[in-house]
Amino acid sequence: MSDASALVAVRARSPVWRRLVRVALGVGLLAVALYLPFVLTDRAAFGYRLSNVQLLNLGLSQIDLMLIAMLGALSLNFLTGCAGLISIGHAAFYATGAMTAAIVGSLWGWPFPVALLAAALMGAIAGVLAGLPSLRVRGLYFVLSTLAVHHVVAYIFLQVQVRWFDVSGVPYNPAALGGFALNTPLRWYFFLLAAVALVYWGLRNSLDTREGRAMRAMRDHELAAQASGVDVRVLRLKAFALSSAIASSAGATQAYFMTNISSEAFGLDFAIQFIAMIIIGGLGSLTGSLFGAAIWLLLPSVIAGFAPQGAGAVAALVAAHKPQLVQLIFGLLVIVLLIFAPGGVASLGRRLGALLAPRGPR
Amino acid sequence: MLAQVLFSGVALGSLYGLVALGFATVFKATEVFNFAQGMLAVCGAYFASAALSTFDWPFPAAVAFMAAASAGLGVAIYGVLIQPLSGRSMLAVIMVTIALSIVLHSAIEIVFGSQGRTLVTPLPTGVLTWGSLRISELHLTAAAVAWVCMGLFAAFFRFTSLGLLMRATADSHEAALVSGVNVNAMNRLAWAIGSLLAAIGGLFLGQLQIVSTDLESIGLLALPAVVIGGLQSIPGAIVGGVLVGVIEQLAAFYIAPESTEIVIYALLLLILLVRPWGLFGERELGRV
Amino acid sequence: MRNKLSVMTLGAFALSAVFSGAPLAQEAPDDGVYKDRVDWGLLMDMSGPTSASQGVWVTGFQDYMSVLNEGGGVSGRKVNVLAEDNRFNAATDKIAFEKLVGQTPVIAISGMGSSASQVGLAATIKAGKVPIVGTYTPTKALSEPVSPMVYNGFCGYKQMAQAGVGFYVDKLKLKAPKVMTVAIETAGGKDYATFVAEAAARYGGTASAVTMKVTAIDVTPQVQQIMAEKPDFITIYGVENTSILTMKALAQYGVDIPAFGITYLGSPSVFKALGPKAGGNYTFISCFTPGGSEPSPGDASLNAGAAKTGHAALAANINYVAGWVAGQLAAQSLAKAGPDLTRARLVETLAPGFTVDTQGLSAPIVYTKDDHTGPQVLKMFGYDYDAGKFKPFGAYDDYAKYTK
Repeated sequence: MSDASALVAVRARSPVWRRLVRVALGVGLLAVALYLPFVLTDRAAFGYRLSNVQLLNLGLSQIDLMLIAMLGALSLNFLTGCAGLISIGHAAFYATGAMTAAIVGSLWGWPFPVALLAAALMGAIAGVLAGLPSLRVRGLYFVLSTLAVHHVVAYIFLQVQVRWFDVSGVPYNPAALGGFALNTPLRWYFFLLAAVALVYWGLRNSLDTREGRAMRAMRDHELAAQASGVDVRVLRLKAFALSSAIASSAGATQAYFMTNISSEAFGLDFAIQFIAMIIIGGLGSLTGSLFGAAIWLLLPSVIAGFAPQGAGAVAALVAAHKPQLVQLIFGLLVIVLLIFAPGGVASLGRRLGALLAPRGPR
Repeated sequence: MLAQVLFSGVALGSLYGLVALGFATVFKATEVFNFAQGMLAVCGAYFASAALSTFDWPFPAAVAFMAAASAGLGVAIYGVLIQPLSGRSMLAVIMVTIALSIVLHSAIEIVFGSQGRTLVTPLPTGVLTWGSLRISELHLTAAAVAWVCMGLFAAFFRFTSLGLLMRATADSHEAALVSGVNVNAMNRLAWAIGSLLAAIGGLFLGQLQIVSTDLESIGLLALPAVVIGGLQSIPGAIVGGVLVGVIEQLAAFYIAPESTEIVIYALLLLILLVRPWGLFGERELGRV
Repeated sequence: MRNKLSVMTLGAFALSAVFSGAPLAQEAPDDGVYKDRVDWGLLMDMSGPTSASQGVWVTGFQDYMSVLNEGGGVSGRKVNVLAEDNRFNAATDKIAFEKLVGQTPVIAISGMGSSASQVGLAATIKAGKVPIVGTYTPTKALSEPVSPMVYNGFCGYKQMAQAGVGFYVDKLKLKAPKVMTVAIETAGGKDYATFVAEAAARYGGTASAVTMKVTAIDVTPQVQQIMAEKPDFITIYGVENTSILTMKALAQYGVDIPAFGITYLGSPSVFKALGPKAGGNYTFISCFTPGGSEPSPGDASLNAGAAKTGHAALAANINYVAGWVAGQLAAQSLAKAGPDLTRARLVETLAPGFTVDTQGLSAPIVYTKDDHTGPQVLKMFGYDYDAGKFKPFGAYDDYAKYTK
């Protein structure tokens, strides 16, 4: 009894310095997030010019695309890591969003925010439809049904593109939020940062609600959850609807950002990249998904930035095969990460946290 | 006409069945969804190409080299990547196979370049005429070899004690461990077989077209084949492969060539909803 | 545990030391022009399904530049090639483009192998400062209307269709030609089929099309349709496999119909894979002359350059030659702009029009103020299996009438 109360006492009052550190960290992170786009645009920090290598070979559009992908990673991790439903078809919802935005925005001429909302709605409907097989099959079979859904949606996108738009790609009107035109990577950055923050906090909070806990129970042991009175079927479809709505909006956003989308963009690689992001980040950890998205999308550029210049046998070899070497190193790093930390970056983070802050009485 | 299309569908389907069989073997034994199966077929084709064109070995020696190298590759993959991750979530292992296919893809392009290579083999390239049917000898050989391999492996799994041991181990790891079976050795063998089957498929594919990393896409078609046949079933993989090949050719002929993918995946969806354990698989029960 | 903490802190310090030790940026001119070198950018798919042809184009360009640099470069500056990989991904394309414009600035960009991203970036390019000198595939969005920022560096599908159809109509002496297009199911394939139909209509003929998947392994259904329609000749659009599968299947079913492929399908590996029986019926239409097929000063320097860099096997590959010619285009445009180089100066020099002399590797490439189409004269090539190299059918001048 005394151990438990001691534990409670330790946890209830974490030392002041720890809370200060956490606040300072948060403020620092916010400052970096707000100043970063200016650094990347001007290629200088506080007036001090930075080389491409020092900026890790990154550009602002790259960060913008990463933010859009984060939306996908967050929503997929919500579905897979928190609700326990594995889906390879996430790219299909991006395609749904892009299609809806094309029809609502380009064909009918409605403004960007309307297209986003329409995309979210269609995404939710598509998500429910895609989730219906889960009422019938489980586990690996369901994963395969999501793969089939992916191919079906990609085919529909191609038909829509060919019949109603241009054969070389679906064009999108310039995006604007009311009077604020999203026409530079900088403006897009702030819009997307706000979107990611919104989705992140929204999903985080929803996991703390009663339904969120029920979802996690469903993930951990479905039959037991069902036996405890959780309506598993409705919950599953709700999880799908929410996750797909977010992904669909992200797809519409990406379409407007790229200004032109062709069906080739929705290949299997695109679908798999979201799975990669959440695994690298750590299943079930929303923060981890952010890292996963960053690693998957930014690491190849960072590796390419370190290529040795100039003459010499090694440099010549690297120059001759640079793209393949970048991919090779990237794949190897992912494998190494997965073997030593199969729980992804989140598990590494947890280990780091345990290292820096020893828990109470053993 | 119909007979011609059917025949080419069966020939193609036999190759799919071969790759699907390799996929099913690996899945049955280690429960790993091997996304790198297509790349293993490509590796096999490149091993053969290296032996034939670079080292200039005679055909039988080249085939033996390809078989040994791909089996070795399968064993190495199991030892380095799969075994350390045993017990981890299915998704983590799937991710490792995806990363593996990226690594293999870039390694091949670095060593061999991205150009396609022609396979120079003594495999027959003529045409047999039978009434109004014109059958490519290569298609016939490919189908024949595929069926022989599949038959041999099916017999191996059914009739030899080693094969039965592998199936028993796959059905229950705990029981096997308790009985003193070296489960890791069984798994290594399964991966060696899976890789070897993919390599043979890759060899014929490379002969039908050209050896390049584009051959990887056959791995994706093995998926519907295995599911339609039944994920845990060996004969199911074979039948599923042939079915996918035939359906693909029929859809290309009667509907439109670009509709083949959608037709097969729609069929996949249907099977998953109606009979998810496939044509030859077994229903799974769940326990609390 | 304390040791682990100190190790990690030390590691963090070491990393930051590495970063600060990295070479500081010189006052990098924003145009990519330095005292002793000028940066030229390439945007191509160097990995992914199209890398077999696009990667080779990059090699051709790089090899030309390395030979040029050995000779001292242009106007006292060496040309530093910054090749960015698009990885067959439209998003990567956009990122790479911005990198070449702002992060590692270049004076001009060549290549742009993806049509989808050309369409997406068209507005930015035309309104921007970096000219595209020598595209790999021309698209309507970028080429029309004519812009001083865009110069095509490869023959267009329209010209390929016109020259190819014209050649076979004359060769087979056809009155109302019946043509069939075998194309992969992409946007470019549909465009090409339309151009072929227009070209056939010019001679009072008809055209039809049949499609196949990029990843197809067997083309029996398509060949059955060809056998049913019995065209006078066929044209093929796609990747190397498309040609190989189609021609092999035609030979298998004993169909003796001549076929020609688009320029990108003119590589020795295609012909070698076909063998003399199937390959005898196959030709390809091209605005560039493959290395070793026709002697000329350009051909000699191409072969010498390829041998020096260890790429002698690629000299006969049409994509290599195209890349080499793009290098010639880049070098000649830089030379014309003179030693006082900026992006604006380059555009000023090129916009009124100029001619590129490829020394026999193609017909002269003429750009005028209103026409940036680039190579417009194509001729037909076949493969001489006994000699092991390509053989041309006639001279470029004979073909000029088809693409007037």
